[in-house]
Amino acid sequence: MNTTMPETAAPVPGDAAIRFEGVRKSYDGSHYVVDDLNLAVARGEFLTMLGPSGSGKTTTLMMLGGFERPTVGRIMLDGKPVERLPPEKRNIGFVFQNYALFPHMTVAQNIAFPLRYRGITGAAAEARVAKALDMVRLGHLGARKPGQLSGGQQQRVALARALVFEPALVLMDEPLGALDKQLRERMQLEIKQLQKSLGITMVYVTHDQSEALTMSDRIAVFHDGRIQQLSDPETLYNKPVNRFVAEFIGENNTVPCTVQRWQGRDVEVTTADGTRFMARGDAARTGGEASLSIRPERLIIVTDTRAKVSNGFPAVVREGSFLGDQLRLTVDALGQTLVARIPARDIRRFDRGEKLTLACDPAHCRLLEG
Amino acid sequence: MHDVARQERSAIRKAVKQAERPSQRRAFLLAVPLLAFLILAFVMPIALLLFTSVTNPETKSVIPNTVALLQSWDGKAAPGEEIYAALADELRTAQANRTAAMLGKRLNYELPGMRSRVVATARAVTTDPHAPYREKFIGLDPAWGDPALWQVIKRNGSSLTPYYLMTAVDLEKTPDGAIQKVKGDQAIFIGILGRTLFIAALVTLATLLLGYPVAYVLTIAPAAVASIMMLMVLLPLWTSLLVRTTAWVVLLQSDGIINDILMGLGLIAHKAQLIFTRLGTVIAMTHIQLPFTILPIYSVMRSIPPTHLRAARSLGASPFSAFWRVYAPQTLPGVVAGSLITFILSLGYYITPALVGGPGDQMVSNFISFFINRDLNWGLASALGVVLLTVTLSIYFLFLRLVGADKLKLG
Amino acid sequence: MWLPSYATPTERFFRTLVVFFSFAVLVFLIAPLFVIVPLSFSADPFFTFPVPKYSLRWYYDFFSNERWITGIINSTITAVLTTILATTLGTMAALGLASPHFPWRRAVMAILISPMIIPIVIVAVGSYLFYGPIGLTNTRLGLVLAHTALATPFVVITVTATLSTYDTNLSRAALSLGAPPLNTFLVVTLPNIITGIISGAIFAFATSFDEVVVALFLTGAEQRTLPVQMFSGIRDQINPTIMAAATILLALSIGLFVALTLLTRKKTD
Repeated sequence: MNTTMPETAAPVPGDAAIRFEGVRKSYDGSHYVVDDLNLAVARGEFLTMLGPSGSGKTTTLMMLGGFERPTVGRIMLDGKPVERLPPEKRNIGFVFQNYALFPHMTVAQNIAFPLRYRGITGAAAEARVAKALDMVRLGHLGARKPGQLSGGQQQRVALARALVFEPALVLMDEPLGALDKQLRERMQLEIKQLQKSLGITMVYVTHDQSEALTMSDRIAVFHDGRIQQLSDPETLYNKPVNRFVAEFIGENNTVPCTVQRWQGRDVEVTTADGTRFMARGDAARTGGEASLSIRPERLIIVTDTRAKVSNGFPAVVREGSFLGDQLRLTVDALGQTLVARIPARDIRRFDRGEKLTLACDPAHCRLLEG
Repeated sequence: MHDVARQERSAIRKAVKQAERPSQRRAFLLAVPLLAFLILAFVMPIALLLFTSVTNPETKSVIPNTVALLQSWDGKAAPGEEIYAALADELRTAQANRTAAMLGKRLNYELPGMRSRVVATARAVTTDPHAPYREKFIGLDPAWGDPALWQVIKRNGSSLTPYYLMTAVDLEKTPDGAIQKVKGDQAIFIGILGRTLFIAALVTLATLLLGYPVAYVLTIAPAAVASIMMLMVLLPLWTSLLVRTTAWVVLLQSDGIINDILMGLGLIAHKAQLIFTRLGTVIAMTHIQLPFTILPIYSVMRSIPPTHLRAARSLGASPFSAFWRVYAPQTLPGVVAGSLITFILSLGYYITPALVGGPGDQMVSNFISFFINRDLNWGLASALGVVLLTVTLSIYFLFLRLVGADKLKLG
Repeated sequence: MWLPSYATPTERFFRTLVVFFSFAVLVFLIAPLFVIVPLSFSADPFFTFPVPKYSLRWYYDFFSNERWITGIINSTITAVLTTILATTLGTMAALGLASPHFPWRRAVMAILISPMIIPIVIVAVGSYLFYGPIGLTNTRLGLVLAHTALATPFVVITVTATLSTYDTNLSRAALSLGAPPLNTFLVVTLPNIITGIISGAIFAFATSFDEVVVALFLTGAEQRTLPVQMFSGIRDQINPTIMAAATILLALSIGLFVALTLLTRKKTD
């Protein structure tokens, strides 16, 4: 893995499309659902807000759309503060969860809806609608009512309706949540392509980490109302900054440990059962309680026991589950249970109780606080 | 979630309140026209009814000076000549203004005979306006010399009176001011209230016994059958109460269909008296209230997953105990809602007892109407209204606590 | 459906019993309504079954009697005015109550629903006492005001129920697409809750058209409604013309009921 990858994505230039400055939101006056939000989104960027339900991501999106007002702080669109601007004056395309298509209007009427409030009527509007329908490949369905469409088709109509008035900024709130897996993956690609080809700034909310990793330029991981980490997908996966991010994105082994000493960014730690590990970290703290994050696919089985390996440790097999392209192996090691992923070419039979030696490259043992 | 820091808390709370205020105001403003309308057209009339039950204008307005003079009267022996003179003077005015009968009628509520006494005396002092009055009054009617009579007049000198409310619950004041129960055949109102509660309870119980199985069958019937059954429950609800009562008037006639059927089946030998009876009233009211009980029970039953009964059976419960211990307790909220609604509505019945019941089956509402229309005793009618309203509202509050106003549904 | 396949014989027996009992109760619910219909077409003035000979004489009676005609006209005018007033006020209130920011929601709801549960005689007497001194007794306006108070809870309940199934994201979507709030309401919200509003209006109409007690207290001869005319008729001497009137009222109720059923069915499609 390329270790020179920047820790955070490139700074956003001063004329950001969106800028949150010290935004906080509270509904009850005693808790913040969004706390200390500082975020800038560049023009043409695809930013995903990822997090579990109740993490503040949807509230943030609603503030951006104008449906909620920040309790504290400012929101700037194209450098202008918009906290007091009502939603209908923001010119933002918004795709809602469950689409919010108007059930009493036809598909074409739904798509023409934003045009009439922009003074586009008659033939001009029809042409725009037709173009939008073609863009989402639904040219033949303009006369139908939304209720007569499949979930995937409804999704495309919602997309066309949010894009037809050519907004510079589009917000999407879990737009693919109701679709099945295959359709979801296809739509992910289509949305991404549309966004790039139209040069739209996109803010996308989801709780699906693989969706976020696939589509985004940058991802903001939300938890407890705060952004835990803001970075590009690779950095997020390989260099999570804390336990929450490590465990929320992909599968993760968390091993509690005690920091012994630092050497630059390398650190020596001991786990609960006394095993010494070399790891990599950012926060230079000595003697504190910390934890190691080790991705299951970074654990390797050491076959040549005489070879000198760093971070080798004994493990006992509990069970293996075959996943087709890989084997998910559960082992007892380091005084806890760990998961390892064995690539297809190394799959063999593992018996319960079999003793193994596992190892992990220090570059892939991330030291995290707490 | 992150707590708001202590020192910021009041500022944040203020900001949150401020942010909510516009939408709060907008939402409330939408309800204001209806609230204002209800206060004017609905709440104020009821408030006036409450007020009418304690208001006592007659005596004070007709004989104000007499009442004022009576304030310093010791109440032991008949008052002195100056009070008789004042009364005579004011009765003359009353005779001229035709208000003597009103005063007599009011005093007559508390002291039988006062109506004719006042009217006759007013006439007498008009035709013969000469002192001394004391002897003249007592000569006309010896009761004018009785301190008890003057007690009643003095008592009614104030513009508010507990008399109607006390009468409505069979209480009275003795001449010395103590409160006691009304004795003998004057004490009818507690009996009427008891009868009303009893009929309402009986109707509630009957609708529950008839309605519970129907609600259950509605949940297990195939969809097509269930929807027809539902129509059969909802259609009566839609039919005018008067039409349903009319139907029962016809059915319960001595020459009516029910008697024909019962005699045809040989169940009875002679025509049974059904109309103008308690039985007839309860049957008709049960028929009218049945959908109100069924619907809340059904809506609760529908939400109980059928897997619960299956689970109970698979865990070893017999059909009966599975039903009794697993299913029935879950239907309790519906039973409570349905029973309370039917009980509340049954308390206020007027049309059905009036048309189907006999004299002994008239409920509080019927007496309220009677005292307004026939007896023209607004005070007592209002006081009975206060009693009925108190009972109804207490059960409504129970309903609000147990069920909630927004759980009310219409089919 | 009726019986689970694992039912024991005793269970089968009891279940069958319960089903038959329920059908009997349903017959008890429905049959009395339709007893009046054949009697209204009887040629005889007696309430006997089977009806010996059918005729329309009681309907001729009904439609040639000025008092019944006046009753129908009065009831219709009163019900229409009540419907307009109650639907407007009730719908507005329901829209306000649907907002999550509505202050003291439970208390306000309890007040708005109370006309449904307060004994009708109390409403009637209260209105009689209150409307009298301000000259509203023996007027149509007084009756309409009192009926509107009685009818609004039905509108509030039905519209609130419809709004609870309304997806607020539809309004948000309309706003985000550039529609101003008023347009959003008229073009998006209203068409989606209109069935609830019409249901509420039907309820309001039926409430007013069928109401007897308040009308008894508040109307003079000129404003006499059909139910009042019927009520006094039954009190004096029940006669077959009343059966004709009751049948007409029944037909109206069924008509309104069918309209409502069709309306709600279309909505669930």
